[in-house]
Amino acid sequence: MKLKFKLALFSMLSKLAVSLLFLIILPYIIERINLRQIDYELIRKREQVIDLIVQIGIEPFISSDTTDAFGSYNILKEEFVSIERINQTEVVNHIDVSPRLIDDEEINYRVLHYSLLIDDQPYLLEVGKSIESILLAKRNINRVIVFFIILIIVLTLITDLQFTNILLKPLDKITGKLKNNAGPGSFDKIPVSTTTADFIQLDRTLTDQMIQIEELFKKEKEITVNISHELMTPISIIRSKLENLLVREDIEDAIIIKVEESLKTLHRLQSLVNSLLTIARIESSQYLKNDIVSPVEVILEVMAEIEPVAEDKGITLLNNCSDDSFVQHANRELLFSMFFNVIYNGVKNTDSGGSITITGEVLDGIYRFTVSDTGHGLTKSQMATLFSRFKRHESKTDGTGIGLAITKAIADFHGIKISATSKEGSGTNFIFDFKKTS
Amino acid sequence: MNLLIVEDEKNLAAEIESFLKKENFICDLACTGADASEKIAVNLYDFVLLDLGLPDYDGLDLIREARSVGSEASFIIITARGAVEDRVKGLDLGADDYLAKPFALVELLSRINAVARRKFNVNSQAMVVGEFTINIQSRMVLHSGAEIELTRKEFNMLQYLVLNHEKVLTRHQLYEHIWGNMLDDQYDSNFIDVHIKNLRKKLNAFAPTPWLETIRGVGYRVRLEQ
Repeated sequence: MKLKFKLALFSMLSKLAVSLLFLIILPYIIERINLRQIDYELIRKREQVIDLIVQIGIEPFISSDTTDAFGSYNILKEEFVSIERINQTEVVNHIDVSPRLIDDEEINYRVLHYSLLIDDQPYLLEVGKSIESILLAKRNINRVIVFFIILIIVLTLITDLQFTNILLKPLDKITGKLKNNAGPGSFDKIPVSTTTADFIQLDRTLTDQMIQIEELFKKEKEITVNISHELMTPISIIRSKLENLLVREDIEDAIIIKVEESLKTLHRLQSLVNSLLTIARIESSQYLKNDIVSPVEVILEVMAEIEPVAEDKGITLLNNCSDDSFVQHANRELLFSMFFNVIYNGVKNTDSGGSITITGEVLDGIYRFTVSDTGHGLTKSQMATLFSRFKRHESKTDGTGIGLAITKAIADFHGIKISATSKEGSGTNFIFDFKKTS
Repeated sequence: MNLLIVEDEKNLAAEIESFLKKENFICDLACTGADASEKIAVNLYDFVLLDLGLPDYDGLDLIREARSVGSEASFIIITARGAVEDRVKGLDLGADDYLAKPFALVELLSRINAVARRKFNVNSQAMVVGEFTINIQSRMVLHSGAEIELTRKEFNMLQYLVLNHEKVLTRHQLYEHIWGNMLDDQYDSNFIDVHIKNLRKKLNAFAPTPWLETIRGVGYRVRLEQ
């Protein structure tokens, strides 16, 4: 998930949590405040009634005829006052909520119960105020709050996204630079314009690192050029001398064979130096990657190259590549070398009657090419050092044993994942995973 | 043909000179860039073999200079620097070919001959080997009018052997000529032997090929003079 979405999501969730808390607590607080207000009013009303009783006596409230009680409701049944004669003498003074049935309508009241003693007669005074309006208000307030919270969350989500978008734009540019980067030399060194210190730091560090790598590559290139010159020149001199001997007609056959043997040894030295230089050149990005290559085409070419030798040895080469796709930013010559090394390796390690199968398939986002032989397979210790330099696996051929190291270097250079599986006695599979480029 | 060898390694220059003299080239030597520059300005050469790693001169500058003074010499670059872009740069500047050190002297000769054929527009004659006629231009091998189908590699090998007739070519020289330096590590004498075997089989179906000799322990040779 992208950083900006993560930030927006986090901010939305935290707002949601705070809002929910608010939603739960707020109605309770409002209710408490309202009830307090009502309680205060009830006490005020009680004092008024008591004042009235003091002024005019209890009689006007209590008609002695039937009920010995007085009750008065206002028109909308919002409030009531009642006084009745009671028998118990204990003191009552509390407020509670109790429902009253009035004209078949149940109404919740906040009621103040108060006992008073007039002429040794205990009376119970009750002053009530309907809380229906409060309950209604509570429900309404809840609705309004929910609506506002949703509105605020949506609005802030939009603004947050916009803001993080603007804020993180330089970061996008920096990652874009990295994505389009074909090598340290081609890294875009123009600083990304931003006022965010962290991004400036990141951009500057990346650019510095790229420049450093570029310089290292340059140095390595110089070194390889120099090594190449220093080593190849003497080899070249010896070689020319030996070859000049070879074309002389006054030389015996026995000497010619010795000369050829020396040339062979010299060639091993030459090819070793060349291989090491090739790896160094690949690793310091001295090869161009300007070709658009069809791996299948290259494989077919390699197969055609190896076919006569395989046929001579009694080994069948099978092509199982269906998909014909293209790989961009590649070096055709190197890819040829890569497949050649592995396929020819298979031929060398397989006995007469065996086969080498090259399978090409499209898997989830990758092209996979598998080179499977029916050869001797590799032991665990051989597998462990498969792609290392100078590990020869008992082959009886002229190679220097560095072919698979070159193969690995070429694969790494192209971002191709190379792996191998093998079972002793039943062959080896080399797997090349090409990233699919759009 | 007139040829200038620009090479600071006197030892190597002497070997190249000795080899090419036998092939009837008139050779001149220059061990420094300044020396070469002067010689190119004064003399008319058909070929300049140019080592890029001169101590006093960038070899590539020498090509530029030569072109500016109107020299029509063909440049063949020989270098041990092996940097990938040297080849591209050299060919861009109008060099005719490029050889990485160490190279086989026969390979150098065959490159010079190839450039000469292009330069002087010589349509090489068909060559007669035994009962076969090899036409280099049309890449055909004929036996009493009938074409023998060879693979590209088989033809290249036959052609290389025939063009260098009377010379023993080692398997490695043949391999280098046909596969170049790219697959150096995978060099396997087997490749050459298999191709020669197949080539012989195809030719022998028409007529015997005693002229294509195997030199035990060394390589192969084509003999035209019996």
